[in-house]
Amino acid sequence: MRAFGVIYMGLAALVLAMPIVVVCGAALNSGRSRFFPPVDPTLMRFGEFFISEPVWTNALWNSVIVAIGAATLAVLLAWPIAYLLWSTGSKLSKTLAGLGSLPFAVPPIVFGVGLGFFWAFNGGLGEVWAGVISHAILLMALPMVTISIGLQSIDRSHLDAAATMGATEQVAFRTVVLPQTVPYTISGFFFVLVLSFNEFIVIFFVSASSYATVTLQIFNSLRNGYTPTMAVAAITFLTVSIVVFSAVARWGDLPRLMGADQSRN
Amino acid sequence: MTIADDIAVPPAPATTKSRAFPTQRVLLGLLSAFVVIFCVLPFILVLAISFGRKIEGAAWVWDFTLENYQRFFVGILWPDEITFLYLQQLGYSFYFAVIASLLAVLTALPFTLLLTRLKRASQAIWLVFILSSLSLSEVFIVMGWDILLSNNSGLPKVFKETGLTAWLKDVGWFQTLRDWGLANPRNVKFKTSDFATILTMSYLVWPYAVILLYPALSRLDPSLSEAARTMGAGRWTVTRTVTLPSIRLPLFGTSLLLFVFLLGSYVAITVFAAPNKHTTAVAIYANIRGSNLNAPFGSTQAIMLLISASVCLYLGHLFNNRAQAR
Repeated sequence: MRAFGVIYMGLAALVLAMPIVVVCGAALNSGRSRFFPPVDPTLMRFGEFFISEPVWTNALWNSVIVAIGAATLAVLLAWPIAYLLWSTGSKLSKTLAGLGSLPFAVPPIVFGVGLGFFWAFNGGLGEVWAGVISHAILLMALPMVTISIGLQSIDRSHLDAAATMGATEQVAFRTVVLPQTVPYTISGFFFVLVLSFNEFIVIFFVSASSYATVTLQIFNSLRNGYTPTMAVAAITFLTVSIVVFSAVARWGDLPRLMGADQSRN
Repeated sequence: MTIADDIAVPPAPATTKSRAFPTQRVLLGLLSAFVVIFCVLPFILVLAISFGRKIEGAAWVWDFTLENYQRFFVGILWPDEITFLYLQQLGYSFYFAVIASLLAVLTALPFTLLLTRLKRASQAIWLVFILSSLSLSEVFIVMGWDILLSNNSGLPKVFKETGLTAWLKDVGWFQTLRDWGLANPRNVKFKTSDFATILTMSYLVWPYAVILLYPALSRLDPSLSEAARTMGAGRWTVTRTVTLPSIRLPLFGTSLLLFVFLLGSYVAITVFAAPNKHTTAVAIYANIRGSNLNAPFGSTQAIMLLISASVCLYLGHLFNNRAQAR
């Protein structure tokens, strides 16, 4: 039975890794082909992706701007909502939190279509800043959740102690609430960063083909013909994800963020 | 809550309060306005435009017509002729999403159960791996499976080289595969097929299934199943009578969420599904950005997709409440 468990987990890992490994391996091909295992391996594609091919370097640059901008904005929006929800629990805060998670909860294509119209009316369609705001709104639900988890982990007696010792609300916020929620805020930031990097359908509608992020560029290439450079993009993305989540696991409590029971280890 | 709470709030000096109050108010107002404008307005726009009218050879105009909805249900030529093309597309959305989400949840369940029994540190490593594959774009995953399943590289080639194809032909199963549309006369083929579509879609949400099941499964009280074991129940009996009933609701909830998520999936369908099985999501794209350029009808389809998703979520919610009440 134990052996069966190990085999099952191993099998799951294998299937999970298979397409990823294939994509990464295909990056080493030298011709305009996608053989696996790679034929005549070369590292040229990495140079093309990061330095010499403007199509890809522009796309990468757009992706980075959108992801970092969206992550920052999403955290800035999520913080007050999560804080209101935690400190007051008022009807307004619940409504805000509910509406804020709405875009994330519905099929993304519907929100993408809606944003496409929205930006068409106010001139944001096809602008990178509109892409930033769109992703921030779409993914705002994530930092809202992580920050809420962080706020809930604060021992209320610490706040009571701070208040008894004469700390005003602002001081208590700065000295008690903020430090304890920093790891959760950062986790939320990184979740948005990574998901924005990889998001496709909303940016597809919002960009209106006037600029491309890496995922859009890959989709275009997927339709028009394959280049191994696409695979380099995949490797880059995968590396970013693994580094980010490892950092979250190293400096934050990943099992807890994912909702594991606290009492057991 | 406690007495300290009562002390903490009122003693704020009146002067600072009157100064701080308007700023807070203003900030709150701004935040609310922002949320309403960006989270709600886009959906309202889709709804409003779905009643609009397309002008032949031009864009579209605001209107209040139910023609688009009529077209969705009975086709454009009604009442002379009735077609269910758009309902059928919605049907395919459901078909792919239901099978793929169930497949994902059923295979993720044993995995997650095993995962929660590992040490905390190993759990974190697995979670990093799963989160990385979860965040990997739909586009990459489709690309990966595209390489794996296409005829000149990947599995069909492996089948041929290893002699598996020849063996299948000898045994006679090859004909069965052909009947299922998974083979051409010479070799197995997976593109385009329902199999490839469902596999990829299921793969897409599999990490989500693990992440969603993880909290519930990690809170399972091991003492319960241990007690059942001490009382002589077999491992399978324990799973069936103790573990499964206690995670029935998260299991159901997860399947539902993944299903709703998959209803709108686009890339996997365009690449792997046969053109006659394309879903509403593909049709929405074709109308809004693609060749048809009929934004009002695209919006109608988006609204119908949204309504289907909401109805499913609502029914799930009802079911959940009733199950919890019992």
